[in-house]
Amino acid sequence: MRISRRDVLSGLSMIGLSAGLLGGRRTAHAAGDDYRALVCVFLFGGNDGNNMVVPVDARYSDYATARRQPTDGGLALAMDQLLPLAPASGPAQYGFHPSMPELQQLWNQGALAVMFNVGTLVAPTSKADDSAGRVPRPESLMSHQDQQNQWQTSLPDRPSRTGWGGRLADQLPSAPLPPLVSVAGNVLFALGTSSHPLAVPTAGGATFGLSGFSSSPGSRALVTAMTALRGLDLDNALIQSVAGETAAAFAASGMLSPVLAGTGSTTDALFQSQPSVLGDQLLQVARIIEARSVLGATRQIFFVAIGGFDTHNDQLNRQAPLLAEVSSSLSAFYTATVQLGVASQVTTFTLSDFGRTLAPASGGGSDHAWGNHHLVLGGAVQGRQTYGTFPTLALGGPDDFTAQGRWLPTTSTDQYAATLARWFGVAPGDLGAVLPNLGRFASADLGFLG
Amino acid sequence: MLAVNSRVLRSGALALLLAACSSQPSAPPKPLVLSPDAVRLAAQATFGPTAAVVADIQQRGAAPWIDAQLQTPPSDLGTYPVVADNVNAVCPTGSSATCYRDNFTPFLTEAAFFRNAISGADQLRQRVAFALSQVVVVSGAEVRPNYGVAEYEKLLLRDAFGTYRQLLEDVTLSPAMGRYLNMVNNDKPNPARGTSPNENYAREVMQLFSIGLVQLNPDGSVVTDSSGTPVPTYDQNAVIGLAHVLTGWTYPLQPGATQRTHNPPYYLGSMVVVPGNHDTAAKTILGGTQIPAGQTPEADLAQALDTIAGHANVGPFIGKQLIQALVTANPSPAYVGRISAVWADDGHGVRGNLGAVVRAILLDPEARGDVKTDPSYGRVKDPVLLLTGLARALGVATDGVYFARASSSLEQPPYLSPTVFNFYPPDYTPESNLVSPASALLDSASVFNRANVFLQLLYSPPGPDKTVNGSTGTQITLGDLAPFGNDSGALVDSIDALLFHGTLSSSQRLAVLDAVNAQPAGPSWVRAAAYVVLTSPHYQVER
Repeated sequence: MRISRRDVLSGLSMIGLSAGLLGGRRTAHAAGDDYRALVCVFLFGGNDGNNMVVPVDARYSDYATARRQPTDGGLALAMDQLLPLAPASGPAQYGFHPSMPELQQLWNQGALAVMFNVGTLVAPTSKADDSAGRVPRPESLMSHQDQQNQWQTSLPDRPSRTGWGGRLADQLPSAPLPPLVSVAGNVLFALGTSSHPLAVPTAGGATFGLSGFSSSPGSRALVTAMTALRGLDLDNALIQSVAGETAAAFAASGMLSPVLAGTGSTTDALFQSQPSVLGDQLLQVARIIEARSVLGATRQIFFVAIGGFDTHNDQLNRQAPLLAEVSSSLSAFYTATVQLGVASQVTTFTLSDFGRTLAPASGGGSDHAWGNHHLVLGGAVQGRQTYGTFPTLALGGPDDFTAQGRWLPTTSTDQYAATLARWFGVAPGDLGAVLPNLGRFASADLGFLG
Repeated sequence: MLAVNSRVLRSGALALLLAACSSQPSAPPKPLVLSPDAVRLAAQATFGPTAAVVADIQQRGAAPWIDAQLQTPPSDLGTYPVVADNVNAVCPTGSSATCYRDNFTPFLTEAAFFRNAISGADQLRQRVAFALSQVVVVSGAEVRPNYGVAEYEKLLLRDAFGTYRQLLEDVTLSPAMGRYLNMVNNDKPNPARGTSPNENYAREVMQLFSIGLVQLNPDGSVVTDSSGTPVPTYDQNAVIGLAHVLTGWTYPLQPGATQRTHNPPYYLGSMVVVPGNHDTAAKTILGGTQIPAGQTPEADLAQALDTIAGHANVGPFIGKQLIQALVTANPSPAYVGRISAVWADDGHGVRGNLGAVVRAILLDPEARGDVKTDPSYGRVKDPVLLLTGLARALGVATDGVYFARASSSLEQPPYLSPTVFNFYPPDYTPESNLVSPASALLDSASVFNRANVFLQLLYSPPGPDKTVNGSTGTQITLGDLAPFGNDSGALVDSIDALLFHGTLSSSQRLAVLDAVNAQPAGPSWVRAAAYVVLTSPHYQVER
């Protein structure tokens, strides 16, 4: 057998998809269809939202007092370094972290909104309700793992093996490819009851298929045996699970591998000025969106992620490059959607473990907290506005359930997710299947998507 | 029934093959015959079965083999230059391209990890240290100097069979951990600056390293209150109390340096006290334990670690994770309960004796036996174990360099976890009611990554790497399977014995034989058979 590394198996012939079939799909889903995509950007570790968006009005002094000066081991950003977020009329009330100039621009263009003080909530709460124990807190508040999970499940009062992205995908009609695609591996967000996500490699990463195979009889026999083996003797549930994952990978490889390799992509150049962990993932998303007609996709949910936000120490030096990466790569991605003519069909939003204490911790960092500020980006976003209620920046104040500046959320993850899900096309009557706790909260539409 | 069928097929296939190869002059080599239970123990307690280690287990018996392993000293992980924790100073612009890789990433330590895992004598010690490294996580992603990460790995190898109390103390005072979770230079409250003690280590030493978030019964089940809600092990006040306990420690003093209140980063030895930075007020920690005012940092720490290590959760919480790492991802409550009992008392009044716990885990009736038919039994293998399993079964000789790189592309570079939460959560549940931690690393992308790494190792292992001093590259002899390149029946029999402890079904054997027979005879047969079985779902699960 000759195995040539130049003969990369595209997989198209292996799973019997002919060019004619693909061509047919292209015709059936011509541009102008009702394609929509949600892009979840998870900031792992707990982004310090207190320094991502800072009041620049009279409240700045509350902020500076509580955060303390950097010369004193504190975390306050200087007023004159903040990037003002001017609304459509009137003076700016808030400013972005100085590392986010691209996102400031998108705010100015009306494509970006800021959602204040969202968090995992069992039910609406207040400082009085919370301290009296009238409203239970989420299970294991301030634990990374649990809060990451609860942001992904939106079920902070119970264990769940499905995420709200997966449950959203459960609502969709069957499509040639799974609607949920993660560029950041297996995540709870993406697991549904009936739907199962695909995970794809990041741009410039591994190939999404077998390397080194040719059409020789020896090569073909190997593939035949692999196909046979993953269908045999699946009496053990773990083996069955692995076999299912393997079969799904091979089934998707033929269609997706050329797309993921960048074949025919017109947006690659937009991401090349700032290659980054997040940018490389978002490039992959852009490539898949560009190929949506070929792939027969009308509804897609993507998951990308960047880590490092658990800034217990040296936060000023550590958070800045992370926010810079978020800013530049989200901006490149938004530009890509504009270029592809789908800016108003793609909505990008952030999730993160939790917010962080307003008071600094020993070592120039901050500790785990609760409610946090988030970003929503896209052509359909009613941007240049903030949504929700900004907390009072006072240690031990009305929004702080401790003495270190940990905000009781005023908006729940359910409401945040429901607003996105409605825009995505879930009928109001079906929202409960995606977000079982939604009915506990007053509004299922926060308005940032019109 | 299954065994009878495959035996029938085995002889049939053999006869067929012998007929086809009748021109073969020499007598066919005899296929490997191995005790299935010994193969299973080798898979659980080493980095992959070899005919030699299985023979050793068969000859000594399981318990004596384990006892010998418990006495085997750690393999040498190598020594690495002590460098300042300052990339720009150590590797200024214009320095060699390898300066950063060799000094500020764990690359060289990882290569040593794989060399030792593939060929070291202390297989069980390394396997347990690897499991512990995924519980008490330190990552080179944040602790940059390689010598510091290597020092931490040596600590785990040294303490792998000691008491958990000792391990917890050594981990707590390790400068690498101090740096990773911010206990180093964690100072008492400073009212003038408005700073509080750092909560990072205080939280994770309880949540991840010892007791977890909710109270457990000895069998691992969750304790609930009258309304069915899990009972937490601690609250935020216990975190804050412990954060105050853990104040007043700084980096060890580098020989020749002058003691300061915050020593500069140095990762050999244990952290040292700076009494003036320690909070001497009274504190309340886990379980309402009172730490009196005025104690030394050492006394505060000892009392806190006694309290944590003495908590009833440690046995089921850590014991179950060790079962999951070595034997099965969904152990029965009774199995966890038996291990918790050994954790509580090793039979000589010692609590948390890791050597005794590991021995009990491996000798438990739920671990031993020739075949396990419970549909939820077993564990999805870690990528590291897939790599070392191939290497050990197929006679790979390596400097570890390719393996260090491959482990990264398979998302499990040892000691380079993305976060303190390891490469995967211990409760990852891909299917209803079926925990499978390592399944978190198996997705549609990694399916191909794994297959492509196996292909490279089997067909074109990379030679010496010119950028690595003394690199010898990776070679493959096909090891225990090499003799069967002209006898596909014996080849499949031997693969079945060594990699599947005799559980391949007749239809699986036929599928492998079809792949083999399409290749020219010789080493290509062995490679083809190995490739299709290593990429099969059945090989990815150890049971």
